[in-house]
Amino acid sequence: MRPFVILLMALLWSAPVLAQSRAGEKEWNTIIEGAKKEGKLVVAGSPDPVMRNEIIPKFKERYGIPIEFIAGRSSEISARIKTERGSGIYSVDVYLSGPDTTATTLYGEKMIDPLKPLLIMPEVADGTKWKLGKIWFADPEERFAVRGFSSVATLLFINTDQVKPDEMRSAKDLLNPKWRGKISTEDPTTTGSGANSAARFYHDLGEDFVRKLYIEQKTVRTRERRQMSDWLARGTQPICLSCREDDVRPLIKEGFKILEIFELADMPGSINGSPWMLTLANRAPNPNAAQLFANWILSKEGLGIYARGYGSVSMRTDIDETNLNPGNIPKKGVKYFDDTDWKWIVTGRQEYREKVWQVLKTAK
Amino acid sequence: MNVTATADKLSIARLRVRPIRIAELSLVAFFAFVTGLPLLFLLGGSFNLAAPGQAALYGVANWARAFNDPTTVNALWMSFLLSGARLIPAVMIAVLFAWLIARTDMPGGNSIEFFCWMAYFIPDFPLTLAWILLLDPNYGLLNTLALKLPFVHTAPFNPYSFWGIVWVHTSTGGIWFKVILLTPVFRRLSAALEEAARVAGATTTAMLWRISVPLLSPMILAVSVLSFIRGLQSFNTELLLGTPAGIYVYSTRIYDYIRREPASYGEATALGSVFIIALGILLFLYWRFLRGKRRFTVVTGQGYSTARVRLGRWRYVASAGCTLYIVIMTLLPLAFLTIGSFMRRYGFFSISSPFTLAHWQDVLSDPIFFLALKNSLLIATITAGVGVALYSIVAYVLVSRRAVVAPVLEALCWLPHILPGILLGLGILWLFLATPLRFVFYGTTWGIALALMVSDSPVTTQAFRAGYLQLGADLEEAARVAGASWGYTYRRILLPLLAPIAGAIGLMNFGGALTSISTPVLLYSHQSRPLAILMLEYSVTGELERGAVLGLLITAIICVMMLIGRRLGLQLSGQQ
Repeated sequence: MRPFVILLMALLWSAPVLAQSRAGEKEWNTIIEGAKKEGKLVVAGSPDPVMRNEIIPKFKERYGIPIEFIAGRSSEISARIKTERGSGIYSVDVYLSGPDTTATTLYGEKMIDPLKPLLIMPEVADGTKWKLGKIWFADPEERFAVRGFSSVATLLFINTDQVKPDEMRSAKDLLNPKWRGKISTEDPTTTGSGANSAARFYHDLGEDFVRKLYIEQKTVRTRERRQMSDWLARGTQPICLSCREDDVRPLIKEGFKILEIFELADMPGSINGSPWMLTLANRAPNPNAAQLFANWILSKEGLGIYARGYGSVSMRTDIDETNLNPGNIPKKGVKYFDDTDWKWIVTGRQEYREKVWQVLKTAK
Repeated sequence: MNVTATADKLSIARLRVRPIRIAELSLVAFFAFVTGLPLLFLLGGSFNLAAPGQAALYGVANWARAFNDPTTVNALWMSFLLSGARLIPAVMIAVLFAWLIARTDMPGGNSIEFFCWMAYFIPDFPLTLAWILLLDPNYGLLNTLALKLPFVHTAPFNPYSFWGIVWVHTSTGGIWFKVILLTPVFRRLSAALEEAARVAGATTTAMLWRISVPLLSPMILAVSVLSFIRGLQSFNTELLLGTPAGIYVYSTRIYDYIRREPASYGEATALGSVFIIALGILLFLYWRFLRGKRRFTVVTGQGYSTARVRLGRWRYVASAGCTLYIVIMTLLPLAFLTIGSFMRRYGFFSISSPFTLAHWQDVLSDPIFFLALKNSLLIATITAGVGVALYSIVAYVLVSRRAVVAPVLEALCWLPHILPGILLGLGILWLFLATPLRFVFYGTTWGIALALMVSDSPVTTQAFRAGYLQLGADLEEAARVAGASWGYTYRRILLPLLAPIAGAIGLMNFGGALTSISTPVLLYSHQSRPLAILMLEYSVTGELERGAVLGLLITAIICVMMLIGRRLGLQLSGQQ
């Protein structure tokens, strides 16, 4: 009798769980079926080889749904979508965009819908799969914009044939007259990573430092990312403030003596959410496909593709990080400056960028 | 009876005038719609200060912010300096090239003309990178070789400078654009005038300076105006070469406003208004100069000779000079561009196994490459074909003495030239979406072609206009007297005489449609994606090598079209 009672109680206890699990699976299958009926998905974002070469084929292979990827610079995409929406056309389902576009345009102008209630895929909804114990929603309401990555950013690169690592221990070392004309940066007078770096310098070290670094040190500016990494490799400008990791790492593999510096004594390391934040367009023309994609891109498979493709550190606990540069992986217990923090993006960074521009534009 | 006869004459006159009036007003309405409305939208938007989604609030804050920026005036002055500095030598060299190719017995003229065309279509971004490889003060090949000489102690060349920018522009589209437009009109010049000058004792130089150039001044001036405005808008080369040297140009300021997050199109449009003023002044001077059509007529019903000027021994010097110029300015950087497309890292010869076929394989195996190529060829063909037909009629109306609102039509045709490509694209996007046009054009190849045709209107219209100015009115009158309709006259008399210009402009627009990025980027859809979007991706992601591959492929396509187009053009004009 007793075993029968135990069995009966086990069945009674597990029945709701099983029922819920079956209901969730049924809902998920309904979404997949609905997405297949819709027949396509439209994603908007910056030009992205990983999207074109890996994500699109993989998603099609997995679910049979083709992705139309509308690529362009963020300002162009924003202008196009805003004009479309003004005319009653809603053509985009999902955005994969940078933090500025996400915060100031998509969220700021109410072009997106809450994503949180739609993330139901078991391996996505399961908090144990995420380093924070839950999905990281970056917006103030914690419902709209998912941040899937958090990597330690390279603060600067040096060519060790010309610059010894001991000579670059603190930010103040950049002001050594020896490096006058030997430092390159993306142009800080326009929106971009150069201005973001300069804003960070201003925030941490003040106006005087910015003036000395960018003006007195005759920092060489460019708007072409490959120029900076080429100068770094050739040693003509052996210190690079805003080179991209995916431009420089192939050079390191080729044997160029380049060192990545992630932190300085007077400037802690920073983390960022590159390559994108995920949001759902409101009035999406293919809502089921949009929900399916949003769940899938946050799954182990989806985020894993981007993590490998960009060398970014994902927020999932189950993605292999052994192939990543150890310097990019945030260390436990270390307080980093978060360059993708929402408040910093919306207010602080723009404010400091303006201050930098005032310094640089009025300098003689 | 007298009253009846007068009334009959008046009604006949009205009947005669009506077709030109209908054409004129229809064209004005069309261009007011496709060029005027987008500009009005942009200008209106520049005065709207409200945040998106809120009720409009008008004011001048955007304009004040744009022009109060201390760097704006400096950038504007730099743009004028750069545009002017390269215009004068470029026009002189282009006139000389065009004259030598079209009017003299210089050997190899056809080949030189072919290379001028090819040079025009090589994308300027990778070509500028090739110049950097040659001239960089630290590692440029030419500087490295020069420093080996015992009397050279510092690098003599530096592209990151004012004159470096001017130099690179003379090897990219600047000169070749003028040569392409001037050569057909030089060809149309009657040798009778040159023979008369020679009989009167004029030297070859005097003949060129006192006869040929004044006769072709409409086209030379039109090309100069177009080039000057283009120069003000130029910024790709200036971004690469000017930024490291602290040289910023006006278009960079416009570009900066557009790149902001959110983009500041109000300020960008405000800055773009300067081009309206510059163009207005130049056009006023241009129109004053052109008053009186018969001064420029070279083809009449009284016979026409195309004999070439004999240069004697100087023809070999001319040929060698032109060839040397093309080799230095075009083939040398083109060779580096080609080599770069086969390099694992552009410009890095010292890495292990520096050469690879991988970039060519990657581009050609890209799943969207062939679809994008197909779309681009379709867009380019529509842009070229329809554009030639449309603008040849527009130009006819402009030079017709019977046209009443020709200045309005011409002004509307000039408008696209004052807007940077991205602003024009935004204006046309609004036009499509705000009207029923969106059901036909938005996201389609036809829509992109229409936008590109609109952007081509200044160059195409002025080229045909200059061509018509060379044709005597007696040709048309003779056809009319013989009973030919206007359509017949256009097809059988005017078009064959204009064939060289039509061919040149058609090919130029075809090539421009293949390489334009800023106009299609706002208008394409997944189905109509052109090659330009692939070029944009390679540019944004720093894949220079693949960008070089694509640039070379586009140049090769245009070379093939050039050869086909040249053969067709010669057949159409009855030449061998």
